[in-house]
Amino acid sequence: MSHIRIDVDDLFFGYEKENDILKGISFHARESESVGIIGENGAGKSTLLKLLVGLYGQYRGCIRIEDIPVEKSTLSVIRSRIGYVFQDSESQLFMNTVYEDIAFAPRNYGLPEQEVEKRVERALKMTGAERLKEKQIYKLSGGEKKLAAIATVLSMTPDILLMDEPSGALDPQNRRNLIRILNSFGHLKVIASHDLDMVLDTCQRAVLMYRGRIVKDGPAEEILTDRELLEAHGLELPLCLQGRSGGLRKT
Amino acid sequence: MKGIDGAVYEIHGMAALAARDKWINRIHPLVKLLLTLGYIGAVVSFSRYDIIGLIGLAVYPVAGFLLGDLSLKEGCRRMRFVLPLVCLTGLPNLFLDRRQVLFWGVKVGAGLFSMLTLAGKGVLTVFASYILIATTSLDKLCYALRLLHVPRALVTQFMLTYRYVTVLLEEAGRMVQAYTLRAPGQKGIRFKVWGSLTGLLLLRGMDRAENVYQSMLLRGWGTDYGYQKGRVPLRVWDILYFLFWAGIIAVFSLCPVLPILGDLIGGILI
Ligand SMILES: Nc1ncnc2c1ncn2[C@@H]1O[C@H](COP(=O)(O)OP(=O)(O)OP(=O)(O)O)[C@@H](O)[C@H]1O
Ligand SMILES: [Mg+2]
Repeated sequence: MSHIRIDVDDLFFGYEKENDILKGISFHARESESVGIIGENGAGKSTLLKLLVGLYGQYRGCIRIEDIPVEKSTLSVIRSRIGYVFQDSESQLFMNTVYEDIAFAPRNYGLPEQEVEKRVERALKMTGAERLKEKQIYKLSGGEKKLAAIATVLSMTPDILLMDEPSGALDPQNRRNLIRILNSFGHLKVIASHDLDMVLDTCQRAVLMYRGRIVKDGPAEEILTDRELLEAHGLELPLCLQGRSGGLRKT
Repeated sequence: MKGIDGAVYEIHGMAALAARDKWINRIHPLVKLLLTLGYIGAVVSFSRYDIIGLIGLAVYPVAGFLLGDLSLKEGCRRMRFVLPLVCLTGLPNLFLDRRQVLFWGVKVGAGLFSMLTLAGKGVLTVFASYILIATTSLDKLCYALRLLHVPRALVTQFMLTYRYVTVLLEEAGRMVQAYTLRAPGQKGIRFKVWGSLTGLLLLRGMDRAENVYQSMLLRGWGTDYGYQKGRVPLRVWDILYFLFWAGIIAVFSLCPVLPILGDLIGGILI
């Protein structure tokens, strides 16, 4: 399994011509690394993740997943290996019931119905969402939708997990649950978030993005405790460190 | 707001019906599709004045409602916009067709007969289609269409339209909610903002439809496995079910079963 890796070199991309959102991103991750991509609103985190799964074609530079370049002809192979959780879980779910939605991917990949059922059960168990199994999607709460969305991706048993703001809308207990799920996922995972506490709990490495560029890439402990660096780029120390390092802060 | 929420609710309601685990829901979608098409063909090509014969053909939808455990009341409620229309299509016949026929010794206008027959035909076809969609999920229906070699692009279009409509309705519901919350005490939506609201709705609807489509792509939609989703194996039961109904429909549309039955029973009674 030594081929699990993401390689991005000198990547430029803009939704509109002459207006690049990503400006020369280079980024490599492999094996069982866990990488947190952090940055203020609009930094380009979601855009970067979407490019990794080939949702936008017209980029400049090089993106390779497991040594396969991301192009039109390779998309179905690449997508079968990557699980992607959207920032907006509303968009991720489109079937009638939670079960049907989680079963969508395994069925699409032609698995026999017995195996599909096993995968669905396992994904539900991992996310602790068993009780939602037969519920209709449009009756779920925001956080329940998030859990279901994560389960739809786990049922694909991906090599690589990409998550865009996975802790949004989750209550404290489910947030802890999510951290547990993420930590139990053994392969490569990339998490885009401004929930820095969660990044600290789940990622060894952090990549700080600012206005379409990577400004710092290194051990999460180091970057997430560097108040000056974070504040210069529109972020703040993780809440769990704010009390410790500064005591009661004057405002 | 009620209207939009209601529409979303109804669409999901139909999907929930189709997703139930009833015996008739498990019948192969191709079998149900072919039977429905054949049935509609038989009903439509029935003689214009043969209302008695048409009553015999009602056995198919009646059995469908019973086997599918569907509520007739629900069915009528859901079809409430179509049913009156199909009933009225025959109305002109009442005035155009002025001939007289003998019916059990009474002189009746032929127009009345053809009107009733036409209305009957309409109701039967509507119910037959209703039974099909209430017992077959969209994926299975699409799979059956693919088996009939309906072009892939067309089937995809059909499927995405269905999803788009739900997304659009949900989005509209949300916008109306946001609007009313910020315009308390106001009835309806001011005419002035209709333009911007509908424009926005279209954009947001497209945005979300795009997201949904992306999410489908990421989970293997449109790969070589694509339409295998609704895939169901053909069992002996399916074939028997098909033969049974094909036979019944053929018999009812080719021979005057009810009159024969009537004669038989009459004969016994005498
Ligand atoms: N579909 C789009 N069309 C045009 N511009 C877009 C589109 N999506 C995003 N953008 C722009 O691209 C920039 C980066 O957006 P992106 O969604 O990647 O940010 P982000 O880092 O994920 O932010 P957030 O933390 O708020 O999710 C933003 O300035 C945004 O306005
Ligand atoms: Mg984002």
